[in-house]
Amino acid sequence: MSAGDLLAILQGAVVTVTLSLAGILIGLPIGLALAILRWADVPVVARVVAVYVSILRATPLVTLLLLLFFALPNIGIAIGPISAAILALVMNTAAFNCEVWRASLMNFPKDQYEAAQSVGMNAPLRFRRIVLPQIVRVSLPGLVNEMSLLIKVTPVLAVVGVVDITRAAVRIGAETYDPLPPFLVAIALYAPIVFLLVSLQRWIERRQLKALAA
Amino acid sequence: MIHDFGIVWSERSLLLSGLGNTTILSGLSAVAALLVGFGLTPALMSKQRWFAWIARGFVDGMRCVPFLLFAYIVYYGLPSLGLRLDNWTSGLLALTIYNAAYMAEILRGAWASQPREPIEAGVAFGFSSLSLFRRIVVPPLLLAAGPVIGNQVIQIVKDSAFLTIIALPELTHAAASIQSRHYVPFAAFITAVVLYWGLCLVIEAGVTTVDRMAASRR
Amino acid sequence: MRDVTKVLDVVGISKNFGDLEVLRDISFQVQKGETVCVLGPSGSGKSTLLRCVNWLERPDAGQIYLNGREIGITTGGVVMGDRELSKIRTHIGMVFQHFALWPHLTVLQNLMEAPVQVQKRPKAEVRDEALALLAKVGLSDKRDVFPAKLSGGQKQRVGIARALAMKPDLLLFDEPTSALDPELVGEVLVVMRELAREGMTMVIVTHEMGFAREAATRVLFLDRGRVVETGSPEQFFSNPETDRARQFIQRYAGDRPPAAGVK
Repeated sequence: MSAGDLLAILQGAVVTVTLSLAGILIGLPIGLALAILRWADVPVVARVVAVYVSILRATPLVTLLLLLFFALPNIGIAIGPISAAILALVMNTAAFNCEVWRASLMNFPKDQYEAAQSVGMNAPLRFRRIVLPQIVRVSLPGLVNEMSLLIKVTPVLAVVGVVDITRAAVRIGAETYDPLPPFLVAIALYAPIVFLLVSLQRWIERRQLKALAA
Repeated sequence: MIHDFGIVWSERSLLLSGLGNTTILSGLSAVAALLVGFGLTPALMSKQRWFAWIARGFVDGMRCVPFLLFAYIVYYGLPSLGLRLDNWTSGLLALTIYNAAYMAEILRGAWASQPREPIEAGVAFGFSSLSLFRRIVVPPLLLAAGPVIGNQVIQIVKDSAFLTIIALPELTHAAASIQSRHYVPFAAFITAVVLYWGLCLVIEAGVTTVDRMAASRR
Repeated sequence: MRDVTKVLDVVGISKNFGDLEVLRDISFQVQKGETVCVLGPSGSGKSTLLRCVNWLERPDAGQIYLNGREIGITTGGVVMGDRELSKIRTHIGMVFQHFALWPHLTVLQNLMEAPVQVQKRPKAEVRDEALALLAKVGLSDKRDVFPAKLSGGQKQRVGIARALAMKPDLLLFDEPTSALDPELVGEVLVVMRELAREGMTMVIVTHEMGFAREAATRVLFLDRGRVVETGSPEQFFSNPETDRARQFIQRYAGDRPPAAGVK
C-alpha cells in the first residue's frame, strides 16, 4: 500500500465524516419533531408518523438508498448520489431518533408538566423551558447510540457511487490484489470514532446514574 | 405505475426467492449467533482475567466495526490468508460472527438482572449443570431478553441486505435486478420495502408472543 | 359580572372518568381571605375538584368563576384555548402533593421561572421578591441548591414559595403534606398557617384534621362526589350534622396525633 493509497482512504474518511455529520445533525431535530407530533397526538399526522417510523425502522438502509436514488428521478425528482445518501441517512436516523425522543417524552413526569400549566405557562413555554431541557438529558444515551449506528451503516453509500472509507479500501485492495492492508487501515479509522461515541454514551449513562443516586 | 407493479408481479418468483433467501440467511445466522453468544457470555464474565479480556476485546471490536466492512474482510480478505469462501458462506459467517458479539452483550445484560435464588434452588434440588442450564437458567433468560433479542433479529434482517453488494441473491438483490432489467425502480423497491416491513412485523409478533408468555409467568 | 368579593365561585361542577361519576353537581364559593379546607374519605373526588378549578381537569358540567370571570369557557361559549387558559392560571397558584419542582432548575430558579417567563416581569425585581419569599419559608440558604438535594418538607416549602411568586389571587393545595414523612409535615403546616393568618385566599385538600380545625375558616366535606356538609370547623368537628361526617371524624380525627409543630 502506497502513500497515495493511504491518502485515498483518508479522503474517503472525509466523506464518511461529512455525510455522517450531515445525517446526524439533520436527523436529530427531525426525529424530535416526529416524536412531538406523536406525543401531542395530532390527529391523522400522529398515525402517519407512527407508520412512517415503523416502516423506516424495518427497511435496510441499502434498500432505502437504492429506492431513493433510482425511483425519485423516475417520478421527476432529480437527485445525485450525495443528496440521495444524505436523504437516506436522514430518513433512517430520524425514525430511530423519534423512538428515543418519544420514550423520554412518554416518561416525562406528569406533575412537573402540570406545575408548569398551573403557573400559566403556555404550551411553547412549557415545552421549551421545562420539557426540552430534561428530555435532552434523558435521551442522550440513546441518541449517541444511534449516532454510532449511523456511522456503521455509511459503507453502504458505496452502492450509489459515494467513495467513503470502505469503498476506497475495497478499490485499493482490488487494484493492488492485496485487500487486507487497506481493510485494516479502514478499521483503524472507523474503530476510534465509534469507540469514542460508545465511550461517550457509557460515560453519560454513568453520570446520570450517579446523579440519580445522589 | 400500475403497469410497473404488473411487471414486478410477473417477476414475483424472483422476489419470493429473494425473500426466502433473506429469511433463511437471517434465521440461520440469528440462531447461530445466539448459540455462539451463549458460549461467549460466560467467557465475558469469566473469573480468569485473560479469558474475559479476550472475549471483551472481541465483543467491543465487533461493535466498533461496520458490518459491511466486516463482510468484505470475510469475503475479500480471507482469500489472501488462504481461505476462499463463496458469497453464501461468507455472508452467513459474517452475519453470525458479527451478531454473536451483540447477542453476547444482550445475554450478559439479561443475566445480570436475573434473580439468583431460583438457580440456587435448582442446584439444591440436584439439577446437574447441563440440565440446570437447559431447564432452569435458559428459559427465564430468553423470556426476559425476548424484546431485545427480537430487535437484534430485525437488525440481522437489515444487515443481510448489505450482502447484496457481494452478489448474494437476497431480497434487495432481487429488487435491484428487476429494476435494472425492467426500469421499474419505484415499484420494485417499494415492493421490497413492504416485504421487509412484513418480515419485521412477523418478528415483532413473535416477540409480543414471547413477551406475553413472560408476563404471565412474572 | 358576578359579585367580586367572591374570589372563587364554583357552580354545579360534575365530572366523570368513563363510567365513574367522580363529582356530582358541586357548588361552593370562596370569599377573599378565606381558608377553605376540603375533607373527605379517599375517592371522594377532592383532588379532582381542586384540579377542575384551574382546569387541569376539564369539568363535564358546571361553571367556575375566578373574580367574576369564567374559567375554561370564553364569553362566546367556546372552550378556551391554551393561551387564554394559561393567562387565567397565572392568577391561581397550585401546590402539588408530590411537589412537582422542576429538577433542572435550582430552588431560586424554580421561583423565578414563571414570573420572568410568563408574567414577563424584570429579572432583578423578581429575584428580590423570590429571595424574600425564600426567607419567608425559611429556606434562604437553599437558594442555589437543586431540588433533588432537599427533603420532602423543604421541597414542599419551595413549592409553596413558587406558587406565591406569581402573586396569585387564590392558592390551591392538593394534599400538600400527604407525601411527607410525619416529622416533616409540621414545617409545611407552619407556613400554611402563616399564609392563612395573612389573609391569603386558599382552598386546601387535606387529611390533616388538626390543621383544618385550627386554620380553616370553613370546612367542606365531600363524600362520593357530593358536598355532604359544610360549615365552620368548630361546628363541623364538634357537632357534625350528618352521619357520614360523624363516621369520618370518628375514624380520622381520633387516631392520628396532631403533627409536630402545629399547636
